[in-house]
Amino acid sequence: MTTSPRKQIFASIAAIILAVVLASLISSAFGAASERVLTVFFISLIAVVGMGVYSGNSGILSFGHLSFMAIGAYAASLLTLPAQLKIATLPKLPEWLATTELGLLPATVIAVLLTSVVALFIGLAIGKLEGSAAVIATLGLLIIVHGVAIGWRDVTRGSQTFFGIPRETSLWVAAVGVILALVVARLYRDSVSGLRLRAGRENAIAASAVGVRIQRERLVSFVISAALMALSGALIAHFLGAISPKKFYFTDTFLLLAMLIVGGMTTVTGAITGAVAITLVTEVLRRFEGGFSLGGLEIPAVFGTTQIGIGLIILFAMFRKPDGLAGLKEWEERLIPHRPEGDTDVVGAPSVSSQPLTAKGMTMQFGGLVAVHDVDITLNPGEITGLIGPNGSGKTTLMNMLSGVLVPTKGEFFLGSEKLSGLVSHEIADRGIARTFQNIRLFENLSVFQNVLVAALSTRGGKNAEARTTAALARMGVARHADADAGTLSYGDQRRVEIARALACEPSLLFLDEPAAGMNREETDNLMETLRGLTRDLGLGILLVDHDLKLINQLCDRLVVLNEGHLIAEGSPKDIQNNPAVIEAYLGPNRQD
Amino acid sequence: MKKTLLASTMVAAAAFAAPAFAETLKIGLATAQTGGLAGYDGPVIEGLHIAVDEINAAGGINGNIMIELIEKDVRSDAAQTAIAVQELADEGVSVIVLPCDADPALAAIGTVTSAQIPAISTCASSPTLPMIGGDFMFANFPGDNVQATVSAEWAHQQGHKSAYIIYSPDSQYTTMPLYFADVFEALGGEMLGQDTHSIGQQDFSAIATRIAALNPQPDVIMTSSYEPDFPSMLKALRAAGVTAQMIGSDGIDSPTTFSLGDVGEGVVFTTAGYATDGSPLAEFNAKYEAASGKPSETVFNAVGYDLAIVVAEAVKAAGGSTDPVAIRDAMAELENVRGATSLITYKGTNGMPVREVTLIRVNGGERELVGQPSPTAELIPAPRMQ
Repeated sequence: MTTSPRKQIFASIAAIILAVVLASLISSAFGAASERVLTVFFISLIAVVGMGVYSGNSGILSFGHLSFMAIGAYAASLLTLPAQLKIATLPKLPEWLATTELGLLPATVIAVLLTSVVALFIGLAIGKLEGSAAVIATLGLLIIVHGVAIGWRDVTRGSQTFFGIPRETSLWVAAVGVILALVVARLYRDSVSGLRLRAGRENAIAASAVGVRIQRERLVSFVISAALMALSGALIAHFLGAISPKKFYFTDTFLLLAMLIVGGMTTVTGAITGAVAITLVTEVLRRFEGGFSLGGLEIPAVFGTTQIGIGLIILFAMFRKPDGLAGLKEWEERLIPHRPEGDTDVVGAPSVSSQPLTAKGMTMQFGGLVAVHDVDITLNPGEITGLIGPNGSGKTTLMNMLSGVLVPTKGEFFLGSEKLSGLVSHEIADRGIARTFQNIRLFENLSVFQNVLVAALSTRGGKNAEARTTAALARMGVARHADADAGTLSYGDQRRVEIARALACEPSLLFLDEPAAGMNREETDNLMETLRGLTRDLGLGILLVDHDLKLINQLCDRLVVLNEGHLIAEGSPKDIQNNPAVIEAYLGPNRQD
Repeated sequence: MKKTLLASTMVAAAAFAAPAFAETLKIGLATAQTGGLAGYDGPVIEGLHIAVDEINAAGGINGNIMIELIEKDVRSDAAQTAIAVQELADEGVSVIVLPCDADPALAAIGTVTSAQIPAISTCASSPTLPMIGGDFMFANFPGDNVQATVSAEWAHQQGHKSAYIIYSPDSQYTTMPLYFADVFEALGGEMLGQDTHSIGQQDFSAIATRIAALNPQPDVIMTSSYEPDFPSMLKALRAAGVTAQMIGSDGIDSPTTFSLGDVGEGVVFTTAGYATDGSPLAEFNAKYEAASGKPSETVFNAVGYDLAIVVAEAVKAAGGSTDPVAIRDAMAELENVRGATSLITYKGTNGMPVREVTLIRVNGGERELVGQPSPTAELIPAPRMQ
């Protein structure tokens, strides 16, 4: 299932097939040499999109993916190597393997499956890491697999050349492989898993808060990308006829990463653009490497020109096009307009549980600082509760605990009779508690529609996700922006999209952290009207943090006041206005007039 | 590099000016100009250029076949070698020159066999290369098994009774000591043990300590490790107090070995030749100095010269044909070709040439000729993958 319009996907796949077939036909016309350049290009491209499936969608740059290429290459080669040669060069192979002699296709399939299983286990381990720790871990993976390939002499011939592999990767074999890889990568990018992963890449906390299980999606993409790397490895081994562990180490990692980075990690278009750009440049530079004569000027041979050239291109790309030559969008996303614009009708109200959230003894301690101290709070469906207090009083911390972003030091909370404390953010989202953030946390490079769709797909089992998305956009009045990138909207619209995204989770409780911040009076009034509509029409309970006292007083049914982490008052807005403790907290102890 | 240009411009000029019937022999060089093997392929290609310039200046092979060199750097890497060789085959070369080590050279087997182009490794000495490489694969150096036989017989004649070997399973070449052990035992010597290391290993202290603890000490230690491993290994052994005779092989025939000072003194190794007064090698060294302005520091320069001579002789023997198959067939029948280092014979071999082996000793930082003995044929171990 894809989350983007069929039209775009079809256009993309058609273009991929057409381009690959056309390129193959043209190069065939130019003879064997150009066929081989294209074959190597296709095989490299499989690896580049393979890396892109993981690195592009998850945002974690991987230096370790060539290890999967190595596993695929050696596994497939061990299966296709003629038995006689195997006995001569690898005398210590187990007999069943020594006598196995498969064709390229079954060997490749087995190698890809084997690599996927290996990747599953490695992914389970690496998936627990975040940010630069994950990047460094992938580097470790590369070094470890290289070490194993060198050390496991009985199977890999160590650092000696593994030769005699049947050279069965023709141009058309590579062409089929690259079509397969590009289509898989393209479909994955806009699959449910791919979209969720990209949301996690844009903003991990927000993605979690709308129900995305980032680690699981990372694992899915890790395994798929490893499978593509294995395909690339099997094909390059059967193209070259000889491999050594060096082939799958830093030099080629650098080359393939350069393609990915220069083209743009996040799209298939980028992978293709980068691979074309780098291949063209290296092919040209390689020919100059042996020295040449330019208008009587003799340029001496400089071996290593190619590497220097690639290095310069990366520098250029980083300065001029940090997102890569192709940017952050697929070509078809730019060229083919989709979703009809204009607001649609608000669809029927979803069923909402009518159970209250009760929290007892909520305490949050950061080192020596007690940010929230022993707070009891109850939130009812259909009721708008305002949470106020001076800066630093613990409002956001309380909200973070109740939404699973922070684990409370003490205290527990329940929805009806179900205990929610102890659950993580995406599990709480799935139980009907959705939220927005004080600092807007949108998935900036995804469209508004996709921002909301991710939430709908990741909660309530993803049922009717499109309808829920459309409804949420319409209710917040941002449907006309559906196609725009969330990051390009005005501040007020971004706030509204964030609420729409929370609404798409079909929550019974909605936490809004300063939703009116940065809005003008008119926008704030509109927002108030919308929020009232939510409780009236959908029966939602709302927990609202804001500094705009007019908004709070007009909107809220009940106020809860925090000061220095303690709950100091609770009651109707009118009661609170006259509560001496509240006045003291806001104005200081000596202002009684 | 200037010479490359000189050669290619001369070729271009000559091709332009040559009469209509002149032919060109394209030789494709897929050698390691960067990476670990550059220290060998670099000097070999230098020497090859001298021969090619000399032949072309004389009007070409047979006076009418000019040699054109097409050069690719394979970065000491197997996969790069496979790619470069394929490109050279596509460009229609008649002969392909492969890197010094058997391992990257093996990567070319598929291509040279299917394209039917004879290929010669610059200086690989593993007898397994032509054995596995098939009819189109040739070597240009005395085989590992032959070198090991020469050094083992020498050690035996010197009265050495016990030996220890240090080898690396990382490449075919660095397993030469295993041949040495076979011959040494066949001669009645005793093997006290063996150690392995990986290529590029910097620290040999563990091995040195182990050997230093042996009682009795081995009379000789044989290794075919080369730079940067050999100097580290030798220093570690000497620092640990091991005084056994060190025997090495052609891989250490480099200026480094002669500049190690005291630790290098007395090291004996097998190589491809020695320049006695008036010998062809001395003649070549003079040419080299004239062409490059500096004395030749390694025999690999001359080995490159030999390679070009072998190709030229094969073309002559093929009746001036530049057809790759004809050249291969002629090359396989070459006998007693006078190269700079040795008489070279391919006839009756599988592509591993019969050439003289020279024993050199480091003496006062200089090259001292120990001898150029012919190995006893029955003692030479059969080539094997190890």
